[in-house]
Amino acid sequence: MAADAAGAFAPPQPEQSFGEVYDRGYQHYEGQRLGRRQAFWALTVYSMKRALGSKKRWTAKVVPALMYVAIGLLVAIPLGIRAFVDELSILEYWDYFDFTYVILAVYLASVAPEMLCNDRRENVLPLYFARALTRADYLMAKLLSTTLLTLTVTLLPMGIYWLGQQLLEDSPLPAMKDNIGDLGRIIVLCVVVSLFLAAITLVISSLTGRKSIAAAGIVLALLVLPVISFGIAESGVSDRAAGYALLFNPIALHGEFAYGLFGERSANEEIAHIFPTEVYGGVMLIAVALCCLVMFWRYVQSD
Amino acid sequence: MVLSPSSVDVPDAPVAASSREPVIETKNLTKQFRRVLALDNLNVEVPPAAIGLLGPNGAGKTTLIRILLGLSNPTRGSASVLGMDTASDGVRIRERVGYMPESSVLPSNATAADFVGHMAEMSGLPKVAARQRAADVLYQVGLDEERYRLISGFSMGMKQRVKLAQAIVHDPQLVFLDEPTAGMDPPGRDSMLELIARIHTRMGMSVVLSSHILEDIERVCDFVMIINGGKLIMAQPIGKAREDMGEIVVRIDGDVDQFIGKLASLGVHDVRPGGTAQTSPFPDVIVRHTSDDVYDAIRDAAADMQLPIRTLRSRVHSLEELYLQAIESGDAAAGGEHGS
Repeated sequence: MAADAAGAFAPPQPEQSFGEVYDRGYQHYEGQRLGRRQAFWALTVYSMKRALGSKKRWTAKVVPALMYVAIGLLVAIPLGIRAFVDELSILEYWDYFDFTYVILAVYLASVAPEMLCNDRRENVLPLYFARALTRADYLMAKLLSTTLLTLTVTLLPMGIYWLGQQLLEDSPLPAMKDNIGDLGRIIVLCVVVSLFLAAITLVISSLTGRKSIAAAGIVLALLVLPVISFGIAESGVSDRAAGYALLFNPIALHGEFAYGLFGERSANEEIAHIFPTEVYGGVMLIAVALCCLVMFWRYVQSD
Repeated sequence: MVLSPSSVDVPDAPVAASSREPVIETKNLTKQFRRVLALDNLNVEVPPAAIGLLGPNGAGKTTLIRILLGLSNPTRGSASVLGMDTASDGVRIRERVGYMPESSVLPSNATAADFVGHMAEMSGLPKVAARQRAADVLYQVGLDEERYRLISGFSMGMKQRVKLAQAIVHDPQLVFLDEPTAGMDPPGRDSMLELIARIHTRMGMSVVLSSHILEDIERVCDFVMIINGGKLIMAQPIGKAREDMGEIVVRIDGDVDQFIGKLASLGVHDVRPGGTAQTSPFPDVIVRHTSDDVYDAIRDAAADMQLPIRTLRSRVHSLEELYLQAIESGDAAAGGEHGS
């Protein structure tokens, strides 16, 4: 307010006003509509972020963060030792999943239930299914997010490990060129195993709306199935029966697939040799297809 | 902030519908679940409007909404929404349609802005636009200040507003609202109804409001669709429905039975004696207002009989009376007549 000569305050004149406020009203959206493709990617990215605890309380971030630290150490320590003691390799590419299996199991038990259980339990599905995507899209987006997250604890550290190995060579660039085949094998191995683990853990999560039950089911399936399978293999049954038992063992499946890819001999070779490497890869992919069928049965209604 | 005049909308000025093409159209729509006939040969054309969808429990309202959203296929017949076939264009329809379910459907540990923005992306909007739209729409529903709070801390009324915001965040042409005021206290219900009315009048969206509370529909909607037992009982503007199902009270100075007989001879059959009011010595005759020709028939009957008409007035029913009449009559043929 301005003071006049007598010291009294005069009301502001209209031309002195410095701003006006309008009701901004409702603005129609006239921008791009990207449709189903955008919905699919939006769901994939959002699911990954939520599973890692993004925009949630700190407690939701603890388990994934600890597993990343553990995986990071498992890769960094062998690389560090290799840097000081040349020719000493304590982690081989084909052993990676054996080394990290328990960590992977815990990581997936924390991530996979986040993908499906909350949506079911909190009844968010009607909102998703009333959007620009189908039920099959929803499931595929969830499978893709889980697989991508699994790749961050399989392909990413293994890729870093491979790169570290080459950089520790006397001539890194020629070494990379010589060992590029290993990188290809690492990619194939990690993609197949990640897809396999993602599908198995998602199908378990699809059976319940409770995260704790799903997590327990995943740990049970990933840790108890191998015990049963190895138990059968060691119980004196024929080699052929023992070989078939290995096909129901997640550790043996990706282990034998890895050994086969890298041309190495496995500890179970007496019984594992009855199937070629491709069979172990094929069984994992068939398992992925079966898991998808079960999830479709759970989510895609016939009408 | 000063906006350009073109971006300022005029308060309370209804947005003209861009087209009078029907937003919903069904042809012989039938849905059969094993032993239950959920929808029975439904034929209806619904213009852009605020549409009240009425019917008792199990009438087929939810089945109809699911088919219109492209989530369920009809057993026979067809349905189209915004000119798109529900059986083949479900995804495209859902890009242009919003849906607010009755049940609790919100994630507890997400903020309103985050979730509504995500739902905009799920309708196909690019990420940046989705975030902007979420902020705008949450402002429109009165959650501007609370948009960064976790939904778990929201009251029932605030959660309903978030549900409404996610239904309109992608600027749909048509919004399905399933019992939007369920469980709300009177002030909350009041402001929710105001919001719904604004969605239609100021935002220019057509609204399908499914509710058991007839007062809500009477307050917000200008078109009513009643289904019962899977059959269409009525689909027309509420005003017209009131007129069509209204009555005319004729107070005559003469013999009631003769007058009724005369009306029958002129083709007006839905007539009954209305007794004699305490304040008047003359008897009333109640004539069903099936069309404006009824007025001519009353005039002609009175003229032929040389009866003085003491009073002639129309009696308009409330929506509740209309609803009860329609449900009680259960007249499928009425659905066929009013269907378009």
